[in-house]
Amino acid sequence: MRKSISPQNLTAQLQYRAAGNPPSTLPGAAVSNACPGLEMDFRNVWKRILVGIVLHETTNVVVGVEEDAPAPLYVLPTLYQLMKVEGEPVTATVTGPLIAGGPNVPIPNTSSDSVTNLEWSNALADVLYRYSGKEVVCEFQTIDPPLATLKFNLRVRHFFEKVLLPGGKKATQAVISRDIAEAGALTQSLCSPWQNDYRVCACFYWAATRPDYVNVELGEDGASVGNNWMQKDRTPESAKVYVVDDLQDQRLLTYGDLFREWEKALRFVIGNQDAE
Amino acid sequence: MQAQTRLVQIHRNGFAPAERLRPPAFHLFGTAAGSHVLMVNGSRIFSIAEDVAMALRASDDEDQAIRYFGLDAPAYIDDAAPLDPPVRSLSLAVAQKCNLACTYCYAQQGDFGNVPKDMSTEVADRSVDLLFSSVRSGERVQLTFLGGEPLTNRGVLRRATERAAILAARSGTEVRFSVTTNGTLLTPEDGEFFERHGFAVTISLDGPAEAHDALRPSKGGAPTFDRVMSRVLPLLRLQRRMQVSARVTVTPLNLSLRETLDGFLNAGFHSVGFSPLLSSGSGQAEMSGQELETMLAGMVACGEEFERRILRGERYSFLNMTNAMQQLHKGTHRPYPCGAGAGYFGVSADGELYACHRFVEDPDGHMGDIDSGPDRARQRTWLTERHVHRQEPCRSCWARYLCGGGCHHETIRRGRPACDYIRGWLDYCLRAYVRLLHARPEYFAA
Repeated sequence: MRKSISPQNLTAQLQYRAAGNPPSTLPGAAVSNACPGLEMDFRNVWKRILVGIVLHETTNVVVGVEEDAPAPLYVLPTLYQLMKVEGEPVTATVTGPLIAGGPNVPIPNTSSDSVTNLEWSNALADVLYRYSGKEVVCEFQTIDPPLATLKFNLRVRHFFEKVLLPGGKKATQAVISRDIAEAGALTQSLCSPWQNDYRVCACFYWAATRPDYVNVELGEDGASVGNNWMQKDRTPESAKVYVVDDLQDQRLLTYGDLFREWEKALRFVIGNQDAE
Repeated sequence: MQAQTRLVQIHRNGFAPAERLRPPAFHLFGTAAGSHVLMVNGSRIFSIAEDVAMALRASDDEDQAIRYFGLDAPAYIDDAAPLDPPVRSLSLAVAQKCNLACTYCYAQQGDFGNVPKDMSTEVADRSVDLLFSSVRSGERVQLTFLGGEPLTNRGVLRRATERAAILAARSGTEVRFSVTTNGTLLTPEDGEFFERHGFAVTISLDGPAEAHDALRPSKGGAPTFDRVMSRVLPLLRLQRRMQVSARVTVTPLNLSLRETLDGFLNAGFHSVGFSPLLSSGSGQAEMSGQELETMLAGMVACGEEFERRILRGERYSFLNMTNAMQQLHKGTHRPYPCGAGAGYFGVSADGELYACHRFVEDPDGHMGDIDSGPDRARQRTWLTERHVHRQEPCRSCWARYLCGGGCHHETIRRGRPACDYIRGWLDYCLRAYVRLLHARPEYFAA
């Protein structure tokens, strides 16, 4: 049956919202452009961008190999991280001021090396543009000591779906390729703002509907003191000590606490202070 | 509200008022397969059912109607001009002089109304350096040679080409070369040089011999068609990396487009394109009214032959049509007709920068010089004022983002006498696009 409205050229294919679809199904309108998203998790398209291996959606760790991957790749999962593609690093050293107005210095992180993963859409955009369908040199390094490196030539998958036309030519369509996003891949890790994201998302991310730093008081020296919102002990008498986030630290709420007893664990915060 | 109720309501809202308060949001067109619509914003093309077309046609609130059908989109083009775009394309007027005396030449027989002069090697070198001054690895730049007749100063043309090729290799960039010549001075060695550097060579040829000779005589009044063709034919046989095309300036004297197109394609030109003469240096031979209608009919006849050939799987490089099909398929939408004064400048023989090759020696289009680069203040003013949202009657035209407002030089000098022609051509191209997309989708595969 003929559709009542059928997009023809590429801009129309990219922008058209089919009847019945909500506005958020358009790439430009969806809350899915960052990690992870409410209706799809765009990060997942990058997991299979290199043929043979499966990358983690946010870190550069190799989490798996594909079924028909050559045997040498089997050493990579969970032990190695991707460092460079065609000589371009996928990580960067993060620098900035530690105190307001201070000098730019390497920012400490949990592994003490100030190195962070670049978001795949940025790190691999140029690789995709130049090398789609071609082989690239991928450099891997062990996650934990002892340091070891490996290099493999892997093929970059095409990002957009291609259809075979009469005569053998292929046309590129304005949709994400099935090859890099298998059925279910885009929805397998959505936001859960009222469960996990309560714990994992800090206040600078939209899914966090809570403050990070509460019961704040300004000291005479100009520095502030207060509590991490995830601290269990937050009575008026509690020490104004900020407990740094750590899943193992018993002073902080766990995911389990939130799932089991959220109504007891969570409290109202008004004007940055715990409400009685 | 139920869909059917809303449809009826849109029908009842009556027909569009004669004068629209807002620029048109869409253009409806039809083929044997049904109705289609071009959404102006983003140049999006849809095939639509007849009831949708009727509702759109009858609506007096276009915004409401297109929202209802899900055809709305965030604005692809706003009022902002690009800020200080980097130089990525230069044309060098290596010779501000010419051996021909074309009746309509915008450069006033090649010297732009000044003393004839050549570009020095030093100016050419510095121009090439400017082109590569801000380029980054992986980017692409364009170097074009124009005049006057650029082959009257072929030494500088070759030196600049070789310098650019070296700089491109060093910087990891791609440089593309092109030259527009009257063809009278071409030599086999030129052909080998152009082939070696993969030039796009454009030969100005105005149609069958008789018309060409009337429009493009030598300075002494002698005919030039046979001379040009005898020099061009060896190049046509050399084409591998090089592409040799014919550019036909259409005047009231050479309106037999189909004959011209087939003649040049059969001769072995890579492609053939037509452009109406809208603003001539002398005011002679400019196209208007009836002549543009005749030209449109000729263009459509060429386009229909293009469709037939593509359906048969044959190559038929009618440049206006191949470009239109490519741009409509991509949904090209632009606030300017070209890159003039943005990333593209024309360099005069003296090393002054102008908005494009047509503005050389014209204070209106002066944009700095090769040593200090673009005059950013003048460029910002130019890009702000030339934005299609600032042009009339473009603001109220459905074709505004496909046309971009028309050649700056022509519109500043003569206005916009060819809007009906442009709309007529684009309307035909839209219909041809939908037909070909359905019948020969593989044509658009590349």
